[in-house]
Amino acid sequence: MDKKFSEMNYYEMLDIRPDANAAQIRAAYNYALQMYQADSLVSYSFFSQDERREILALLDKAYATLINEHEREKYNQELARNGILDVMEKSAQVKKEPVNIFDISKHKDFFAARRTDAADLKMKIEKNERIRDILGRSVLTGADLKDMRTQLGVTLEKIHQETKIRLDYLRNIEDDKTEKLPAAVFLKGFIKAYLRSLCLEPADELAARYMNSLPGKN
Amino acid sequence: MAHIWPIGGGKGGSGKSFLASSLGHLLAKAGKRTLLIDLDLGAANLHTFVGVPYPEKCFSDFIAKKHLTLEDVKLPTPCSNLFLISGANDTLDIANLPYEKKIKTLRAINRLNYDYILLDLGAGTSFNTLDFFLASRNGIFITTPEPTSIENVYRLMRAIYFRKIRHYFSAAHFKDLEQKVKQHFDEISFSKPERIVSVIRKDFPEKYQLIKKDFDTFCFKLVINQMHKQDNIALGPQICKLIKTHMGMNVEFAGNIAYDEHVHDAVCQRVSFLDRYPHTRAANDLRDLSKKLSASSGEQLSLNYL
Repeated sequence: MDKKFSEMNYYEMLDIRPDANAAQIRAAYNYALQMYQADSLVSYSFFSQDERREILALLDKAYATLINEHEREKYNQELARNGILDVMEKSAQVKKEPVNIFDISKHKDFFAARRTDAADLKMKIEKNERIRDILGRSVLTGADLKDMRTQLGVTLEKIHQETKIRLDYLRNIEDDKTEKLPAAVFLKGFIKAYLRSLCLEPADELAARYMNSLPGKN
Repeated sequence: MAHIWPIGGGKGGSGKSFLASSLGHLLAKAGKRTLLIDLDLGAANLHTFVGVPYPEKCFSDFIAKKHLTLEDVKLPTPCSNLFLISGANDTLDIANLPYEKKIKTLRAINRLNYDYILLDLGAGTSFNTLDFFLASRNGIFITTPEPTSIENVYRLMRAIYFRKIRHYFSAAHFKDLEQKVKQHFDEISFSKPERIVSVIRKDFPEKYQLIKKDFDTFCFKLVINQMHKQDNIALGPQICKLIKTHMGMNVEFAGNIAYDEHVHDAVCQRVSFLDRYPHTRAANDLRDLSKKLSASSGEQLSLNYL
């Protein structure tokens, strides 16, 4: 009763909140068409032909404006200038976007934590004589890997989480169950990943050393 | 004070009497003292729905004889707690009820002591229908999902809207208003009360505030009857939204009633549909509807023009 349809703003016409996202705008537009289209039962006889044409034109314009981000921004600014919707404008800035389920920025401290972890590990490796001793040998076995890992205080599960290598593979590697290990081409990659997650360098060379010391190799 | 539910629909055959009798039945079964009044003046047949084929007394008696009250012309029905004021033997000129008789009737209805009073109104938009519909703020519109019926229910809504606005103006002031509307719009404006309101808003702001306040207290309901399976079930809510947006009238969607062949059977057998076929879809819908309506009917406000 307060406002004629043509006096409404686009958000009111489509009956959506000012922070509606594209999908909501589209749904609202379709819903409005259901109500106002010429063959709609809902508004049958409610409008004269001219009125209906006018309403449909307004709806089209509202949709075209709001669905286009650039146009919508301009329109929002115009509304704000007229002081109609200062509250609206604020909420419009927190636009709802599709949420990325792999959103890295969600775990902001993830990389930071990893960096400090890596620095820690490198420190430990330098200080630990036993590890340096193992790294100095020309032969590297699964038992050695396990030894170094326990020295560094890293759990097998953590390596599993970081490298995405199956836990049973990791166990077999550490227990030197050579018959159960995957094919050499995969194994080499696994070993490299394992070494890198423990910050044992140089990973390539160490992995080669491990592969050479496998009993099947000789 | 009783809850008064006028039931109107514009088009004939949309189920006004059926809804009135069914709701009356359900309310009475729920232990509420309920009175049905057949105000479909000149085309009364509510008595047939509730199983009173030969009513001895009728509404006309109340109109014709000074000493009778509405209480004197009411009839019991086979259903306990449910009473009827029939229009079966009404005089043949009852359809043109004079103004003072109408006011007398409205006052008498307001004084009745029941839990619920259901008014079964006639089709069309005569002043009698409109004024009886406006006897309460909880009027129920009923329509079927067909263009013909929708068209008439819109017309009824607009007529009621217009009638309500008219109450706020004296004859002279209304002439004045008519002139202004004519200046602003074209000839067809009088079938669009929302345009008249826009003129009132501009030229009679204090009246506009009163009217707006009044309309905000209204809580009309909408029922869609004879809903077939293939019909759009969102029709009711969409109609309510349209009315709210373009006319500023609060109409709450109360529910759908499924189309059911059994209704026809029950009417032909002259038995109550809810007793004869209690487990059909339409019967379930009616029970839901009755629950919803009795839960959402607000306080009863007295008429402001009596």
